[in-house]
Parts: sequence; structure tokens; C-alpha cells
Amino acid sequence: MSAELPLRGMRVLDFAWIGAGALVTKALAELGAEIIRIESRARPDNLRKSPPFRPGATGLDASGYFASRNPSKKSVALNMKQPKAREIALELARQSDVFTSNFRTGVLERWGLTYEDVRSANPKIVYLAMPMQGHDGPHRDFVGFGSTIAALAGLVHTTAVPGRPPIGTGTHYPDHVPNPGHALVAVLAAIYHQQRTGEGQFVELSQLESTVNVVGHGLIYSALGGTVEPTGNRTPSSVPRGVFQCADGEWLALACHTDEQWEALVRELGDPSWSNDPRFKTVLHRGRYADDLEVLLRDRVARRDRPDLLAALSDAGVPAGGVNSARDMLEDEHLIAREFWQTVPHPVIGDVPMFHLPFRIGSSARHEMTSPPLLGEHTREIATTLLELSDQEYEELVDDGVFY
Amino acid sequence: MEPDAEPRPLDGVRVLDFTDALAAYGGRLLADLGADVIRVEPASGGDQLNHGPYWMTSGTKPTSLFERFVNAGKRSVTLDIGAPEATAVVTELLRSADVVLESSRPVLERYGWTTERVDAVNAELTRVLVTPYGQQFDVESDAVDDLILLGAGGLLHLGGYPDAGPVAVYGHQSSYMASIFTAVAALAGLIGRVRNGELAQVDVSAQECVAQALEESVVRYAMTGEVRAPQGDVAKEAGTGVYRCADGYVSMVAGRLGTAAAWTALISWITDEEPDLGDALADERWGQFEYRQTADAIEAFRDIFERFATRRTRQELYREAQKRAIALSPVNDLAAVLEDLQLQSRDFFVDVDDPELGRVLTYPGLPYRMSGTPLHGPRPAHRRGADNVDVLVKEAGLSLEELESLAERGVV
Repeated sequence: MSAELPLRGMRVLDFAWIGAGALVTKALAELGAEIIRIESRARPDNLRKSPPFRPGATGLDASGYFASRNPSKKSVALNMKQPKAREIALELARQSDVFTSNFRTGVLERWGLTYEDVRSANPKIVYLAMPMQGHDGPHRDFVGFGSTIAALAGLVHTTAVPGRPPIGTGTHYPDHVPNPGHALVAVLAAIYHQQRTGEGQFVELSQLESTVNVVGHGLIYSALGGTVEPTGNRTPSSVPRGVFQCADGEWLALACHTDEQWEALVRELGDPSWSNDPRFKTVLHRGRYADDLEVLLRDRVARRDRPDLLAALSDAGVPAGGVNSARDMLEDEHLIAREFWQTVPHPVIGDVPMFHLPFRIGSSARHEMTSPPLLGEHTREIATTLLELSDQEYEELVDDGVFY
Repeated sequence: MEPDAEPRPLDGVRVLDFTDALAAYGGRLLADLGADVIRVEPASGGDQLNHGPYWMTSGTKPTSLFERFVNAGKRSVTLDIGAPEATAVVTELLRSADVVLESSRPVLERYGWTTERVDAVNAELTRVLVTPYGQQFDVESDAVDDLILLGAGGLLHLGGYPDAGPVAVYGHQSSYMASIFTAVAALAGLIGRVRNGELAQVDVSAQECVAQALEESVVRYAMTGEVRAPQGDVAKEAGTGVYRCADGYVSMVAGRLGTAAAWTALISWITDEEPDLGDALADERWGQFEYRQTADAIEAFRDIFERFATRRTRQELYREAQKRAIALSPVNDLAAVLEDLQLQSRDFFVDVDDPELGRVLTYPGLPYRMSGTPLHGPRPAHRRGADNVDVLVKEAGLSLEELESLAERGVV
């Protein structure tokens, strides 16, 4: 099957920046759309200044973090504070199918690029905004980051070892999957509607509201009067279940969902005495003595290296897997077989491993990602093609500080 | 199905949902968008969405609230699709469908509906198959586990306590992540069909879905050789971390990782309210982010800030910090989420009349709002098999007598 990507021929005018927004447009690029990022040189995307940097490389084009979120996009450096910039942005909107932003409420209003403004230029456009907590309400102007949104939404309190401080994922998790993921669903739905009817619309995703949905099942329970407390890695229906460190220092995760799996674990890893130990005879017993069991397992796992142990547990039919570090992820056999990682050359940084969307369409190879843009790399190109400016007109706008 | 006054994006789209817990929320997202999502489950046998929490009270069968949440808005059919007497209705269901969702293994194929057989009935289907590692890697269904998937996907390694090891994020997140991309894949397929006439069979890997969540850790390793270690409850820098207060904890980002003015605003705040504590932060070293990233500074700041916070509640700190544009949030338990003023003012929480429990359940509202195709929020999750008559008789052409025959034989 030939791979005509679903969004081939569509164009996105992209004001999204930093984390969540950039991942939406990265995905749209992978699905075939042309992405035109509007960037500021005066207040550059924070990610352009974020580590990791290639040792020795500096400047706004040296960030590996920025690179990993922005392959296959074009960059136009446009100074939105200049009066002429608005008309340029609206002309680009006229020629685009989608407009994306994750600015906090107020920024696009100041620039005269609200949905009403953009819709006047292009009624068909799908316009995405991703404010932190929504465009209205008493906290509409509150500031936050992925980690603080996770805390507000209940993900941090519920992620802990009982009796220890809450820790969450250790990342800005809402920025990486819940929010760009839900936004992508909504934008694609709006594009589907647009393609069927010619109608555009405004899509708003409140980052807080989107994140609360991934604890939705717990929220329903809480509203009924239940209390959701953290349980570490445990769950009452599967005992043992946890993470253990091997002799070589690597971590593995294992879980026994059935008595058969438990018996296989005892045979492979445990001591024969465990089969007769009254503390472990059913899952309910093991649950009561989970602390004892974990001490024993820690000792047993620590005697063997991870590759051996994982192979043995797999053969025995015990659910287990590596707790993959970043290095493990790049070397993972499944991901390599599926060509999940693509090495993309970057003029300043060198080779950067980029991750694809998590699926394969048909039997074709994955869409090839191209190098992330240098800041303003495509300003002249867009100015002299889509905006139909002559080279001289372009230079004048540069002199005036509209393009920079 | 009652008609709606306004269009929804997936009006007229029918989805057959053969998913288990790994991808069921994906079908939910499509139902929210207006698709007619029909869950098709075996007539008897294990409950595929049996995840906690469970609502258990006198007179009520233990009921999975995960199942209620991820099935909102879906219809439900129970049917042994492999039974010969079910062939006619399965054929009709496939013929009438636009999208088929399956997880954690190929479900149709397992029951004799091979790709060829399905294609012969309907060659226009968008098919999405979600598996733990991708369709070429077989995994027994009783081996699938959120903890193991979070480990395989790399997120588990980034979390936890340095001394005690990795701790999994709450709430079946591998299922939510895989499910979100299930919906993305289905929508991409629908768009491709309408724009290009292209048909899509999409192979979603749950491991790869989790691997979307790795922040900068992989490029960091590739570029510098450094493997990121979990922070646990150790702050990343002075001003960024989780801090104890009067009634719990708050989460703050106010160092270099935050907005430029945040650190200065933070010092002013502390100094205004508690001059003695402000004095402890007055030394000019505190103005340098390199110093603030040292272990000494991190610990010193924690001590000072927790003394500041010890008599202030989460909500007080939240209000006061945000007045000064400092990114601080309460570490909310789920009861506190329900009380959040912003969510309440947005009418975010939705009462849903649940037919299984026979009472109102409070759901979060949808993750997004759409102006041109307004969405109605989560709708009741139908009871298991509640739509056998509507779907199999009224729509798929079985007679009532035939349905009764199947019921007695245990096929529905």
C-alpha cells in the first residue's frame, strides 16, 4: 500500500511553543502536514535555551531538547510587536488549514490573532488554543508548568510510596502525552469535520481539564466518597508486583496475576519453601505479607544479572520486563525492529535520535522526519513564495525589523 | 440514538470496539466526538476492563469505575463472534462499520475472522490494532501489566526515589497513553479515507506510546552520555520541587526552569511576609542560578521555604503565589480536585445517570471544547449487553426469535 499521508497538502500556521504545543504540530507534520512555525527572536522558544546541548555548541540552535520536538517544521522569525506582522500572519492564516497555539490567555489577544480575527481571514480554519486552565474562570491567568498541572490534577498526590512524600512522574508528564494527545484528537476531529463540510472552528483545550481526564476513574470514585491513596507499585489483585534491582545494577519489573505465574516465579527465582509458606499460599495471604515477600524477592533478584533473569522469567511465563533507562530505550529490540527511532542530522548539533508517532500505518516505512529548523531558517523562503514578496520587499521588512 | 441539533465531528461514523483495558479509552474518545461506538464483548468469560477502583457497597455488585469511565457514551453488545450462528450478524456489523478497534491482540482473527474474510465483507474499514510492543510481538493477555509497560516504555525509570527505586505513576497511565493514540490513529485513518481514498490498517505499540513521555532524557543520553536518574523528592534546583505546607504539599517551578521573573518574585514574597526568612535569602549568591542548582542551596532553600509554608495551607499558598505570577500549585488529592474553584466555575464536572449503579456519578468533563461541533460531555456507559436488541435485531436483522435462540445457547 502506498503511503499517502492523511494530512498531505495541508498547512499549519504554528504559534505553539515549548512542550505541549510543539508535540501537537510534530505529530501533524508526521501525518503529512506542512508546519510553519512563527518564532520570536526577542523572546525565543524556551526550549531553544534548554539542555542538553552538544558540548561546545551554544546559541539558539544548539538545544537537543528543542530539536527532538521540532523535526520536519519550518521556522519564520516574525516580530509580532511590529504593526505589519499581524497582516503577514493573517495572510499566512488565509493559506493555512490549521492554526495552533499554546500561549497563555492574553498573548494572541494582544497581537490581534484571536479566533475571531483569524476566522475573518479564513472561515475554514481549525484554530487550536491550549491555555493552562481555560480562557475564562477565576484562574484563567494562573501560570504553570507540566509538573504543577500534574499536581493540581491529582497525579502527584497519588504517586508515592505510602508514608513518603508525593513525587509524581519526575517529569512534566501532562506536557508529553495527556495534553498534546488530547489536543491532537480534537484537532484531527475538527479537521475531519472541516474536510467533510468546509467548516472550521475553535478548539480549546484547558491543560488542567485535559490532565484531570487521565485520573477520571479515580475522580468518579472520589466523588462517591472513596479515598484514593497512593500504593507505590502495588495492587491488591496481583501479588507480588514491583520493581527490583538486579546484580548488574539494572532494574526490572515483575507481576504475578495468577497463581500459576506465582508458582512459576517460585520455581524460577524463589526458594522451594515458599510453596509451603503459609504467608504466601493465596494472593490474599501474599497481600498481607507483601513487605516480607518483597524483602525476599529483593535478595533473590539481586543475585542475578538482568538479561539472564528476564530470559528465565519469560521462559517460565512470569510477566516481567526491564525498567528501561534512556540507553535501554535506544537499544530496545522491539523499537529497533519497528524503526521507532530515526537518526536525524542537524547542522549544529549533529545526529539526534528522534522518536516517531507510536504507530505504523499499513506496511509502508515510517514517514521520514527532516531536520528541525534553525531559528528563522525559512523566513525568506516563505516571504518570497507564500507571501509573494520580492527579494527587495523582503529585505525592507528585515530592515524595518518585521522579519528578523 | 437521539438526534442532536448540532453536528458532531464523527456523526455517521460507526466504530466496533473490541478493545480491552489497554485501548478502551480510545473508543470512549471517539464516542465523545459523536461516533456510534459499539462495544462487542464475549457473551461470557472474563471482564476485560476489570481495573480498579471498584465501587462496593451493600446491595451493589463490585463495579469497576475504570470500566464506567472508559465506556461512557458507548453501546454494548455481548456476542460470541466465533460462533457459526453469529456469522450473519457479525457480517452485518462489519459491513456497517467505519472503524474497528482491537487490543491487546487481534480479536477478530482469534475468532476466525481473518483479514481476508473481513476485507471481503468491508474493504473500506479503518482498522486499529493496539498491542503491548507492536503487532509482530505476541504477548499473552495475562502478561500485560501497566507496571511492565511503563518500564518498557522508559517512563518508569524517570520516576521514583533515589534510595528506594522507581515508582509507577498512578492510574493505569499506559492504558490512557495507548488509548489516546488509538483515537489518533482512528482519526488519521478516517481523514485519509475522506481526503485521499486511502485505507488504513494501523499498528499501535503501547510501548511506543509510553516512549512519547520521556522528556529530554533520550537526547540527553545520545548527546552527552548521561543517563537521567530519578529525583524522587529531591528538588531539581532551589525553587523547583514539592514542598511541605500546613495541610499537605505544594508543587512549584520558580528557579531557572521557570519564568525569568519568578525567582525574584519568590524572594520578594517571602521577604514581604517573613522578613527574617527573606534575610536568609538575601545573599547575592542566591541570584545566581548556578548556585541555586547546588545540593547545599537546594537543601537550604527547602528548609527556608518549608518554614515559610508551615503555617500556610495549599490554597493560601496557591492564591498568594499566583498573584505574584509564581508557578505554584497545590498537590491536590482527588477530593481537592473536585473542589477546585476554576474547574467548578467552568462547570467542568458532569453528573451522569449511571444505569449500572442506578445512581448519579460525577465525571470530569471532556478534555476539550469545540465551537462548531459542540460536544455534550460524557454520556452514560450502557450496561453490558444492553444494546443486543437494538443492534442485533433492529439494526443487524436478526429476528427476536433468533436472538432468543442465541441467548439460550450462550452466544449472546
